[in-house]
Order: sequence, then structure tokens, then C-alpha cells
Amino acid sequence: MTNLNAVDPAAVAQDAHLESADVVIGKNTIIFRRFLRNRTAVAGLAIFVALTVFSFIGGFFTPWDKETIDPFNIGMPPSADHYLGTSQAGIDLYAMTVEGTRISILIGLVVGLVSVLIAAVYGCTMAYFGGKVDKVMLFILEALIMMPALLVVAVATSGGGAGLKRDVPSWLLLIIVLLVFSWMGTARLIRSMSMSLMQRDFVKAAQYMGVPPRRIVWRHLVPNIGSLLILDITRGVTAAILAEVAFSFIGIGIKVPDVSLGVLIGGATSQVQTFPWMFWVPLTVMFLLTGSLAMMNDGLRDAFDPSSSSTGKAKKAKARKTSAEKKAA
Amino acid sequence: MSSKTTTGATEPARAGVERLHAAGLHAPADAVLSVRGLNVRFNSENGVVHAVRGVDFDLLPGKTLGIVGESGSGKSVTSLAIMGLLPPTAQVSGSVRLKGRELLGLSDKDMCAFRGNDLAMVFQDPLSSLTPVFTVGTQIIEALTIHHPAMSRKAKEARAVELLAMVGIPSPRERLKAFPHEFSGGMRQRVMIAIAIANNPRVLIADEPTTALDVTIQAQVLEVLHTAQEETGAAVVMITHDLGVVAGMADDIMVMYAGKPVETGAVDDIYYSPRMPYTLGLLGAVPRVDVTEKTSLVPIEGMPPNLLTPPTGCSFAPRCPLASDACLDGEPDLEPVGAGTLHRAACIKSGSLGGSVDVHDVFAAPPVPVSRFDTVPREERRTVLQLKEVRKHFSLTRGALIKRKIGTVKAVDGVSFDIREGECFSIVGESGSGKTTTLLEIMEFHPGQDGEVVIGSLSNKQAADAKTKAGMRRELQMVFQDPTGALDPRFTVYEVLAEPLENAGMGREAIRKRIMELMKLVGLQPDHVNRFPNQFSGGQRQRIGIARALAVNPKLVVLDEPVSALDVSVQAGVINLLDHLRADLGLSYLLVAHDLSVVRHISNRVAVMYLGKIVEIGAVDRVFDNPRHPYTRALLSAIPVPDPQLERTRERIILQGDLPSPLQAPKGCNFATRCPVFAALPPAKQEKCLTLEPPLEAAASTADQRFACFFPDGELDEDMLVVHETRSTIPPEISRPQAPPLAPQ
Repeated sequence: MTNLNAVDPAAVAQDAHLESADVVIGKNTIIFRRFLRNRTAVAGLAIFVALTVFSFIGGFFTPWDKETIDPFNIGMPPSADHYLGTSQAGIDLYAMTVEGTRISILIGLVVGLVSVLIAAVYGCTMAYFGGKVDKVMLFILEALIMMPALLVVAVATSGGGAGLKRDVPSWLLLIIVLLVFSWMGTARLIRSMSMSLMQRDFVKAAQYMGVPPRRIVWRHLVPNIGSLLILDITRGVTAAILAEVAFSFIGIGIKVPDVSLGVLIGGATSQVQTFPWMFWVPLTVMFLLTGSLAMMNDGLRDAFDPSSSSTGKAKKAKARKTSAEKKAA
Repeated sequence: MSSKTTTGATEPARAGVERLHAAGLHAPADAVLSVRGLNVRFNSENGVVHAVRGVDFDLLPGKTLGIVGESGSGKSVTSLAIMGLLPPTAQVSGSVRLKGRELLGLSDKDMCAFRGNDLAMVFQDPLSSLTPVFTVGTQIIEALTIHHPAMSRKAKEARAVELLAMVGIPSPRERLKAFPHEFSGGMRQRVMIAIAIANNPRVLIADEPTTALDVTIQAQVLEVLHTAQEETGAAVVMITHDLGVVAGMADDIMVMYAGKPVETGAVDDIYYSPRMPYTLGLLGAVPRVDVTEKTSLVPIEGMPPNLLTPPTGCSFAPRCPLASDACLDGEPDLEPVGAGTLHRAACIKSGSLGGSVDVHDVFAAPPVPVSRFDTVPREERRTVLQLKEVRKHFSLTRGALIKRKIGTVKAVDGVSFDIREGECFSIVGESGSGKTTTLLEIMEFHPGQDGEVVIGSLSNKQAADAKTKAGMRRELQMVFQDPTGALDPRFTVYEVLAEPLENAGMGREAIRKRIMELMKLVGLQPDHVNRFPNQFSGGQRQRIGIARALAVNPKLVVLDEPVSALDVSVQAGVINLLDHLRADLGLSYLLVAHDLSVVRHISNRVAVMYLGKIVEIGAVDRVFDNPRHPYTRALLSAIPVPDPQLERTRERIILQGDLPSPLQAPKGCNFATRCPVFAALPPAKQEKCLTLEPPLEAAASTADQRFACFFPDGELDEDMLVVHETRSTIPPEISRPQAPPLAPQ
């Protein structure tokens, strides 16, 4: 009597219901909408995109570059020739700022993305295997946290790494060193998040089906902490930009002739009184860069947090509109 | 005998706004709480959700109103709106009057004068509603201090002790200084009730107060709520989805659907002559623990409407088997079902639905599926799973540097049973009794285990290599309790179902074909395979979980509380599906459940576990109709039955206390500490229970039933028996001195 091939009327009814009522909104759509609802975050995104575009095409708007010295304009304030003035050595500040912004953004993005990726794989592996594997990996992680990053950066970029310095540009060296020291905090966070995911039934279900561990980590754990990863990428980018600025400021990061925002700011601190533009321009750009990322981060948190109240209020005006519609119907 | 539940407009001809203003005047003068035209709206990603659409009721002192409905029907939102606890983003309109005073529109600060004083609430989750950093005493005294600042410290402490005693917490004076983590879930819920009644509230709102608790603890807590109501004379609003829980407690019932009351009336009217198809369906969907049922349950197909757009017809029409064109024309109002009665229903056909209508005819319940194994005697069927003396002991250690062993937790202690082809075997017991650990032991399946697990022809003692294990995974699959948690939210249904098949090494084309088969098998639309789990309802998600378990054609499916996370109406559909899959595919089930009515409906055999041991095992009808072990008797009597008259008159065994911690497990019979038979035994016989461990022995008759008790026919202790019949004659006393809270009346 029981006909297994019969289609469940409940499913049909629900199907019609789902399609007609337009209740299914893709998660991405919701996240996107919520992000757009946060004006500050949208402004942040706009500023960040504008700065990135500026760092790539800004160079075409000036005949000068970061190496050419203009002997007729040494330490001049902004003028028609040099939009942002020139340095003590007669190099165009505009050209240097474009170059510096590009290097800073590059360092930020690469370090932010790659360190989070390392952290994700490391953290998930730790959480999945637990036991001895977890203990050993956690020890390595703690050891890296204890290591004084500042000294290693100083050694790698100045004295010790002479051979290295010949072969790789200083910005790449800085990226590598920053990468080594920037993923541990995130990895520890991801470990604890995945440990709670491990308790979830779908991981157990996969284990009971006999799915190999590597597949479980890659297909079940990593995607499910995706929203955290995205938040951590923006945070990581900010942190990397700030670290680059700080290291270059104290003279152990990017080395001349490479330019970065940190190098520019660091070099100009002693001349704030005499050549104020040399200090304030790169500082403003750096502030715009990190500020825009912070603004974006806030919006992203709102968008990804399922419990956030960013759906807005059931406003009186809207309610009145619905009741009016009801009457009309 | 019932309070007056006026629902709907008293004079429908008047304009809505005017009606609202006059509502307070029309309410019965003695009502403590009267709600009129309560509307609540929320905003969501899809637009404004009209969550509560016009709720009206009056509550008389000392009476209990039960609000019943599926999840999403607006029950909890109603209670939160009354308490003024909705987030500021919600828009609330209508009128809520407490003793004539309007509450809606009061500021949060003004509401504080009422909350916890005249209006009190007991929440669902006792684990998170107490602050972990303060002692229980501090939290009770805080509730007193806020509303009685003039009270002396001594007086407050005395009152706190009195309250704890009232809710049945032993040695209340000492427990005052205990922290919430030192209490079990049931105890914490008692403390919550003590805090709620601290200031003698006029209205006590209980929002699913027992949903998170075990059945035996649920019976205790309901008893405490009952005592609390008698002590304070408060009116109670009891919100629940379980029709059994309110049957014995409520005077009136309000059934809610899609944010609106669809049927209201005295409890007997609702249970014995429901006039709205939805109520009819809800009652038919609940399996009964007290009778053998040989009919399928009534599933209410479909799901509640979304409340984004105002319904143009009866909101239940799309799911109603009796719906006709007339039903789609305007939403019916709550109308009295007969002259001079307070029973009202919002259905244009309520006149034709009387006491004699059989719900199975109305909802066209499917026939009971017959398995090809049903005719074969049990002994001749193949064994698919066998457990022999399986044990799982955890040792507890203390100390940071040097670990000292301080005891052993015997989570599973020598469990043996077997499951034959085409059979459903259930394990029941309170949480902590070792049901889930037994399941995990079966799923783990490795040679290092203590005891033997034989699945099909494979024993765990030979399961050293991966190949045997893979073979075992094909014989045995699992369905999880929480359908949402068991499906990866980032997988489409196709990926979910493909995972076990890919793992079994199937080809791409074969996988696609098998998935289509599976979708049809569990009653889902095959073209839904590209959807994500969050686009399905709870019942459908559980169907996906079942499909995944069936993917590799296992012989045995392990079901870990498969329906406890689902609404009753949806639960019925899933139970029916499981029933007919078993018949059609010749599956065997190992079911773990705490809901004995579900177990009775679906199982053939049952084992009752207590502290890691099986205390009674046998054919389900034998065990449930003629329980021999006192624990089984207590469990069965704790299950509320959706039958108000039976519920009011039947004798219930209320077990004292909680499951003892496994560390303090008694030497002799595990159950002695809580046993109602033991308590009534003469000391000479008690000695035997305390020193010897009762073996699992066959009952005198040859039937399939074994139990582990020395005195199965012993008298039950009077103190643990409770009958409710006389309660309506006891006048509510406001300040009765400390009395043993659970004393029989």
C-alpha cells in the first residue's frame, strides 16, 4: 500500500510556499545587504578601494618618479610642479607617496591573507587531531609567541641577513618576517572555535561515515569558520600595515631606496617644523588606510554576526503601510 | 469551574481602536490580567513580520491558562510582550492590564515596579537563567530587596529559606549559600520558581518551564509549580507545546496558530470536543504512552504560514484537510461554538466538528505499514547487533601535577542485548543513565573495548584493520538528535548525501542516481537537492538526516532522539516515515529516546537503563503495561498524558531528588536511594537491597520480559505518590507556614 515514490504533499506545499513567498534569501545576499546598511562601512570600503586605485594609477599623473632628483626644487612646499612638494633631497613627495602606499597595501594584503590562511589550517589541524598532536603544535605556537619579533626583524633586515638582503628586496623580506610572527593569535582563536565545531553533530556524522580526517578539516571545519576568517583578514591587514609603519619608523623595516609610508613618516619626524608636508601627507594617507579598514571591519562584523540587530526596527511608518495595504486588499 | 476566557471582540461591530480603549472596562472586574488586541511586529530581512495578531484573554486569580501551539505560533512573544521584555526594535500595540493598570507603553523603569513583583516569569532554560557568580541566596534576596527595600536582612533571609523549602530543596538554610553550579537542572528550575514567587506575584508566566528537563524531573517541577500556585494564589500562564503537560494543570486552554488564538475554552472542552481542525490535528499527533496504538499518527502536513503578508483566508486553510473555497474568503473570527458556552473556535466548520469525529478520518492518517518480518517469530530472524557485557568506565582524577584517582564513573556497566532483523529496539532512561554512551560504544567499534559488539557478522574484537571498519560502517548508520546541527550548513543537500557515497567509492553517475532515489524515499522533492539545509523546515532536515543514514543501505540505523527537537505535528510525520521505512526496507532500529510515548509507538522491544545498567528489558507492550521494576513504574507515571480527566485522577510516583552522581553509586541496588518500594520496606528487607546487586531475571511468566529487582511487588511509599483530584477545592492561602512541599493531599 505504501507507495514510496509518491511525492510528499507537505514538500510540495512547502515548495510552493517557499517559491511564492520569496522567503529564501541567500546567505550572501543577506550579508551583502547588512553590510550596505552600515553607512560607515561602505564609506570605509570606498576609501580603501580609492586608495588602492590611487596607488596603482597615481604615478601616471606626474612626470616625476621616486628616484629622480629635481635640483631646482629642493625642500619646496606643494606647488604646480610638485603637487605635494619635494623632500630635502629634491624628490617628488607625490611620487613617493604613491609608491609608499602601494608597498604598504601590498604588505598589508599579503601578510593579512596568508597569515590567516596559515592560522586556519594550523588551528583546524590542532583541533581536529587533539591529544599529542595538539600538545606539540600548541608548544610550537607558544614558543613563537614568546620569540621577540622585534629583534628578529632587526636582525633579518639589517645586519644578519646580508646574503638574503642581496637577493630579495627589503619589502619581501619584511613580508616573510611579519608572516612568521603574525599568525599565532589567530591560530589559537581558530583552534578553540574548531574545537567547539568538533562537538557539532555534522562532524561526528562525517566521522561515523568514515570520511578521512584531512577531508573533514578541509571540507567541514575551514568553511564553517569562514566568517571569522574574513574578519580576521581585515584585522590582519590593518595590523600588518601598522607593523610595517612601526618597523620602518624605527629604521629596521623597509630600507631606502624602497619607499613605504613608514619610511616616509620616519624620515620626516625630525623635520616636522621645517618641512611639515613631508610628515603630514604620508601620515594622513596611513590614517585613511587603517581607518577605512577599521570602518569596514565594523560593518563586516555586523553583517556576519547572526545575532546582530542590523535588521533595523519595525518602524511605525512601515507598519502603517502594511495595515493600509491590508485594508486595500 | 473555569475562569472566564473572553477571546475576540466583545462587540465586533465597533471600530478596532475604540474597542481597545473600552477593553479595560469590559474585562471582568476580578481579572488580574486582561489582554486585549495584543499585536507584535518585528522587522526581518524579508520585511515586517506580524508575530502576534490580536490576542485577547482574561486571567482570574488562582487559575491557570495554558497557551499551546507549534513553534513560531507567537506563544513566547505574547508572554514577553506582557512582561515588557521584547527588544526595542519590536512594535507592540494593544492593551495589557494588570489589576486594571495599563502596562503597555510604560517605560522600562516603570515596568520594573511590576516585574518580579506582581508579574513574575519562569524561563525555559534553567541552566542559563541564574547568574553563576552569585549564591542562590543572594539572588533570591536580591528579588526581595528590589521590591521591599524596608525589609530587614534577617527577615529577607528567613523568607529565602522559607521559599527554598517551599519549592522542595532539602536543607534550605545550608543551600542558601550554594552557587548555581552546585545544583542540577531540576533544582535550578526550582530556585527560579522560588525567585519568581518571592514577592507573591499575582501573575506567574511559565514559558516552557520543563522542556529542558528529564521526565521524572519534569514531574517534580510541575508539582512544585502547582504548590507555588497554591501557596501564592497566583494566576498562571503556562506556555508549552506539549499537550500532555498542560492537561493536568490548566483550567483553560488557548490554542495559537500563526500569531492568533484559533480555539479557546475550558480544558475539557478542548481535549474532548475540539472544534478546530488544527487542535484536532495537534491532539492526534501525540502518541500515547498508556495505550497500545495500532494506528499511525496524524501528521499535519506543511508548515505555518509566514507572517509577512496578512492572510486573506483562514491561516490554517493550506494545511487543513477540510478546507474548502469558503475557507479562503476572509480570516474567520473566534466565535462561540454553541450558545451559552465559553468554548470558542475560529473555524467556519466548527459546527460540524463534534466529539464523535475521528481525527484519523479527518487527516487521512496513513495505514500502519506491515513489515515482511512481522510474521516471522523473533527467534528465527537474523541477529543484526549483539552487545555482550559492554562496559565503559571513566576514571576520575584530581590534582594538577600528580593525578590521583578518586573514583570511577561506570557510564555503561555490563550491558547485553541483541537486535534482530526488522525490529525496533529502544533504550530509555533519564539523562546520565548511560543511553548515549552505549550508542557511542557501538559507533566507536574498536578491539580495545571492554565487552564484545557484534554488528552483522563482524565483531569489534577483529576490527583491527580499516577494511573491517568500513564494512561495519556499511551495516550501521546513525541519525542525530538535532537535525540542524547534524547537517553542515555550508553543504547543499546533494553534497550532504553524496559524502557517504563518495566515501564508499561510488561513481559520479551512480551517486546522482542514488541521491534521487533517496530523496524520493524520504518524501522530499528530488529537485530540492541544490538547496542548503537552512532552506528546509526542521522535519525536512530530519528527513535529509535519515536519507544520509540510508545512503549506503545499512541493515541497522541508530537513532539518537530523532524527534525530540521537532514540533509534535512534524514529529508525527517523521515517526510515520521511520515506521514505514522499517517495514519496506526491512531495517532494524536502535532508538534512544526519553519520550516514552514515542518509544511505545514505534518500538517492538525496550530496555530501561539506570546508572549504566539495564534494569528492565522486554517486549514494549509487556514492559509498559505491566512494569515490574519500580524505576520503570516511576518513569511511566511521570509521563503526562493528553487527557485532563485521567491526568487529574491518576496516581503519580514522584521520585525524590535527581539521579545520584555516578561516584556515589550505592553498593547494592543502584536505585535504592530513590526507590519508592525501598522506602516502604521494613529495615530487614532494606538490608538486602543495600548489600546485594539484583540480577536481571526473567519474569515469572514465559513472556519476553526481564527485570532486576528483589521486591517487584512491594508496596509503594505513600510520600512519593501524588494525586491531583482534590486540588480545586483547596482555597488558595497566601501565607501558609512551611509545609513539606511535596506532601500528598
